[in-house]
Amino acid sequence: MRWRSIAALGPILLCSFVAAAHAQTAEDFVAQNLTARGGADKLAAIRSYVTKGEMRLPGDFKLAYTETKSRLDSGAACAVRIDAAIQGLTVVQAYDGKSGWRINPFEGRKDAELMGADEARALGDEALIDGELLSATAKGSKVEYLGREDIDGTQAYKLRVSQTDGTMFTYYLDPDVYLEIRVIEDRTIRGAEQETQTDFGDYEKVAGVYFPFSIASGPKNSADSDKQVITIASGEANVAVPPGLFAMPAAPVASTK
Amino acid sequence: MRNLLVSTLIVSALCLGAATAMAQTAADSSAVSGLGIRNIGSAAMSGRIAAIAGRQEKDGKVTLFIGAASGGVWKSQNGGTSFKPVFDREPVQSIGAIALDPTNPKVVWVGTGESWTRNSVSIGDGVYKSTDGGESWTNMGLPNSERITRIVVDPKDGNTVYACVPGKLWSDSADRGLYKTTDGGETWSLILKGGNLSTGCSSVALNPHDHSEVMAGMWDFRRKGWSFRSGGDGPTAASWSGLFHSTDGGQSWTAMTSQTSKGLPTTPWGRVEVVYAPSNPDRVYAFIENVRSALYVSNDGGLTWEERDRSRNMVWRPFYFSRLVVDPTNPDRLFKMNLTLIASEDGGKSFTQAGGDNGHGDWHDVWINPENPKQVIGGDDGGLWLSYDGGVKWWRGGNLPISQFYHVSIDDKDPYQVYGGLQDNSVWVGDSAYPGGISNSRWENLLGGDGFFAFPDPTDPNFVYGESQGGYIARVNRKTLEQRDIQPKANYREKLRFNWNTPIALSPTDKGTLYIGAQFLFRSRDHGVNWERISPDLTTNDPEMQKQEQSGGITVDNSAAETHTTIYSISESPKNHGVIWVGTDDGNVQVTRDAGKTWANTAANIPGLPKGNWISWVEASRFDPATAYVTVDRHNFGDMAPYVYRTRNYGATWEKLIAPDTQSVRGYAHVVKEDPKSPNILYVGTEFGLYVSLDGGANWAEFAPNNFPHVAVRDLAFQTRDDDLVIATHGRGIWIVDDISPLRALHSQTLAQDATLIPGRPAQQRIESNGGWSDGDAAYAGQNPASGATITYYQKARQVIGRLKLDVLDAKGNLVTTLPASNRKGLNRVVWSMHEDPPQTPSGATLVFNATRGPRVMPGTYTIRLTKGANVYTMPFTIGLDRRATFTIADRKAQYDAAKRVTGLFGRMSMLSGKIRDVREGAEADAAKLPEGDALRHELETLAGDADGLRKQIVATTEGGAITGEERLREHMDFVYGAIMSVEDKPTPYQVARINALERELKDVEDQFAELEKGELAAVNSHLKEKGLEQIALTDPPAEFAGGGGPARAVASGLIGLFLRDINAAQPEAGDRDERD
Repeated sequence: MRWRSIAALGPILLCSFVAAAHAQTAEDFVAQNLTARGGADKLAAIRSYVTKGEMRLPGDFKLAYTETKSRLDSGAACAVRIDAAIQGLTVVQAYDGKSGWRINPFEGRKDAELMGADEARALGDEALIDGELLSATAKGSKVEYLGREDIDGTQAYKLRVSQTDGTMFTYYLDPDVYLEIRVIEDRTIRGAEQETQTDFGDYEKVAGVYFPFSIASGPKNSADSDKQVITIASGEANVAVPPGLFAMPAAPVASTK
Repeated sequence: MRNLLVSTLIVSALCLGAATAMAQTAADSSAVSGLGIRNIGSAAMSGRIAAIAGRQEKDGKVTLFIGAASGGVWKSQNGGTSFKPVFDREPVQSIGAIALDPTNPKVVWVGTGESWTRNSVSIGDGVYKSTDGGESWTNMGLPNSERITRIVVDPKDGNTVYACVPGKLWSDSADRGLYKTTDGGETWSLILKGGNLSTGCSSVALNPHDHSEVMAGMWDFRRKGWSFRSGGDGPTAASWSGLFHSTDGGQSWTAMTSQTSKGLPTTPWGRVEVVYAPSNPDRVYAFIENVRSALYVSNDGGLTWEERDRSRNMVWRPFYFSRLVVDPTNPDRLFKMNLTLIASEDGGKSFTQAGGDNGHGDWHDVWINPENPKQVIGGDDGGLWLSYDGGVKWWRGGNLPISQFYHVSIDDKDPYQVYGGLQDNSVWVGDSAYPGGISNSRWENLLGGDGFFAFPDPTDPNFVYGESQGGYIARVNRKTLEQRDIQPKANYREKLRFNWNTPIALSPTDKGTLYIGAQFLFRSRDHGVNWERISPDLTTNDPEMQKQEQSGGITVDNSAAETHTTIYSISESPKNHGVIWVGTDDGNVQVTRDAGKTWANTAANIPGLPKGNWISWVEASRFDPATAYVTVDRHNFGDMAPYVYRTRNYGATWEKLIAPDTQSVRGYAHVVKEDPKSPNILYVGTEFGLYVSLDGGANWAEFAPNNFPHVAVRDLAFQTRDDDLVIATHGRGIWIVDDISPLRALHSQTLAQDATLIPGRPAQQRIESNGGWSDGDAAYAGQNPASGATITYYQKARQVIGRLKLDVLDAKGNLVTTLPASNRKGLNRVVWSMHEDPPQTPSGATLVFNATRGPRVMPGTYTIRLTKGANVYTMPFTIGLDRRATFTIADRKAQYDAAKRVTGLFGRMSMLSGKIRDVREGAEADAAKLPEGDALRHELETLAGDADGLRKQIVATTEGGAITGEERLREHMDFVYGAIMSVEDKPTPYQVARINALERELKDVEDQFAELEKGELAAVNSHLKEKGLEQIALTDPPAEFAGGGGPARAVASGLIGLFLRDINAAQPEAGDRDERD
């Protein structure tokens, strides 16, 4: 059981860290996080990542969930496509590296709609296999260490990633295993601030890299009942991605007629 | 609880190994805080605002920062339409000043500790700076300032900042005066100090054209528990208040007096406010409290002055109202804060009330948009007010739940209602739950004035005992809102001394008995028609503490807020009605064991305290008549530490439970209560939060869920039927911890385990209902309790790596559902909707929304199974009907069976639809392989068309997004399914008849398909076979993911199909609008 062996290492890591806590910098924490994820080589070796599971929206509304991420080049940038289905109808959101689009078939429309630039950027950030923290250098973002903060009883390490466009991601790393347990995303959508809080848990290794299998998101400080919860059943790395998967369809997708 | 063998073995091994550690195990904050907490508001009455800062951004939007008197800092980026709290993680919530750096829009300064120094004012701990627009804060020093009234940032140099520190209210202090930093707050210099240890800074202003020129007001002031002074001890007593002028950035100062500056009044002075007109540095306004308090105006930069307005609302209560705000674009236009907001358009020669319905009253700050001076945002004791016509007409801000409750009580309605009184905001009653959210309109005002205790009459739910300041108690008819004054009256040549916050108490042993305390304890057994005095004067009756007619300093101010030597707390023993405890504001802890015939003062038995302390709470034990608790509040002696004591022998001896050396507790103590069911669990509210002891007071843990600020907790109430804890905060409204029963399971054995499931209160299937209406973003809505069954478990450490799995099994051990688990450290809570997976439906052009939710499981006993790594924990979990249900289990079963029957029909329909699709798609595929004109191709196309015709009898297929009105079997079935699911009572006969009819219709199509299968399909397959082509095969339809939920908020809000970002955009910033209670 992987989690058990890691848990056993926890106290050792903690003791090591305490001794050097005063000297820790943002760069140190980024490095710790990268190591905790599985290391740079293993992470870079993942060219695509497909997860399947279930998404619950507020009100206990459940959809079958598939998310496909794929690196666009040798850097951090990725494309993403999310499919969520119920009653044979599939909602799609995708980002192809330049623009974002969506399909919402539930009211009878199956043609793709272009996302606004702000929303597309947000989806582009979400697409990152490495995550914002580990992509900061590649994206030219600034990372600061802001001390420790109580996150539901855990004294987490707090890091802030500031993108050049002003978007901020506040990361909270678990003090024992250095994986992110919460990220608060603060960005501007259509000129208005939008803060999203995402809690991560149930990490499992896929191709040697830890990924969260429990992802709960909602407006910052929202009640659990207002959160979208994604529970991953399986994650697979380096899956062959069909050509054109991320491209916005020119015509409506398959009809129910 | 029945853990599986493997977990039992592991836990046993752990227990053996950790036997020594367990003895020392105590619950800490992380262990208890996972119970969670919800705020029910309200913003209906809101609360006092002390400071406002604003800025119009380049894109035209207005950013506002609001400093609440005791409820933190709130930020709006849309001119006040919506707000979010941004200071909740900081250790204090009292705000005195806010300043925005003119040189950097990301930099915000906050001075903590309000300077509108009324009796109930809270405290701060220094000056804070944010460099990210308020998202995070750093304490930049001045930790002993206690309160800061103004921060001014040099408009050309953001590193140069002035902090005006009135300083400590209740004690001498050298840490007061005007401070300056030139390095962005890294270091501060005291550049102007008072002439004595009670004189601090009351105002600072920079010349808008020459920032090295500074004027500052200094203020000599002090409070005691029984009096205060603004200025000296009387109108003519010496005072160190003054007005000072510097032309070198504060390096040197010149006192401005009637001798040096023509036109200024003679001393002694009280509170002094000074401000430059931003558009004309020669125009300076000063409000000076003295025996002839008035507005003074200079037109030569302060060289000479002229007395101007001294109308009632210019000079009323100068210690509480002093701020002047000048229009940034017009030197002649200014506002003066006061009981009402007054405005002048002629440079202060005359003032008129700013608007007709002039807000709540008691104004403290105003911000005028320099880009649009007609936009005026103001704050008073009733919250936020917004004007778009220059302060003539006002919108009321409805989204700041910064209400300052003193006390709280509850009733036994279901859901119960919550009652409480608030500082300057009357007595209110509100819902603890309401479909759609607890909006402002779910709160009702019952009285008037300042509000304190309020109780529903236990003998008649149509009446409420409500109280306003100085012991005014009324019995309020909730139907007519008639208020019957039932305050006990004085005898001949007697004065009754009622505290500002006079205690009233209901007997726990006799529903009809009511107590109220002046210096005597009064008891009524007939709703206040008659009162008996059941005590002598229980206070010290010290005449030196009864000189309120001389209180106020220069301006007499005797509002009942300083009335002293009074009874402050009353508690009758639930175990013995003859045992009554009384605490007084001057240090006495009195007890009678014979219902008032004789009294004993036990205060001298409390160890380690000087005399005269405020006994802020006395609480008789629920379990033992000899046991009682007291909280002692010494903050009005300048001692901000908590003190809590317990006696087990009627006060003969007292033991310390909390003292200044109790590291885990901060803030002076207001209230102590025992858990209703466990004498080992104690709750204490202090100025900075709520604390819990699970071991009889030996160890204390802060109850600190991340959404709960460090706000003053003034009172606690237990709804024992629901096991809820209801919390009155003085600054952030009412909060509820739903179902505190898991705390009783957090003994050392539990805490030592890696994980364990914990039983909670019996789960009900609360009736699902809809209510409320959209109030837009500008209105607060309090949060409802979770809409489902709450499952509680404990884990010693946060689960980060590896799965944490939470399953629900039925009585036969079959899996009902798997729930997303919570993974925090300590207690965790997960809500189960109690709905089965939804029916599988054939896909059509749109969703059928009722069928997105499965039937609700039947009441009964289930099993919760928690899997954490190799360990498995189980617990029985019983679900009952809503106790309000008027239907029976048999009715409920009929509803469930009907829903399941429809679910089955949906399944048949899906099967049929799938087969039809197989035929159609198979025929179309085969046809495409044949040339045009081929007879078999024509046959296949006909078959595909015929199959599709059948399918179109089952589902609506017209796409395009319009309202087609197309309804087929699936849609009709969804309607009747929705009708059955709309209640949990048995279905109506016509609903059952409708199911029968639809089943017949489905059967018709099934028969038609069977005909097609036997005839047309068989023929086509025969011809395909003859041609060597693949025959059309029928397979079971692919298992489409069933999904679940609904008629969920997501559906109702049109969110389905939108993911998180879209959901965010559609969510209110504060408050939960859950549609179920």
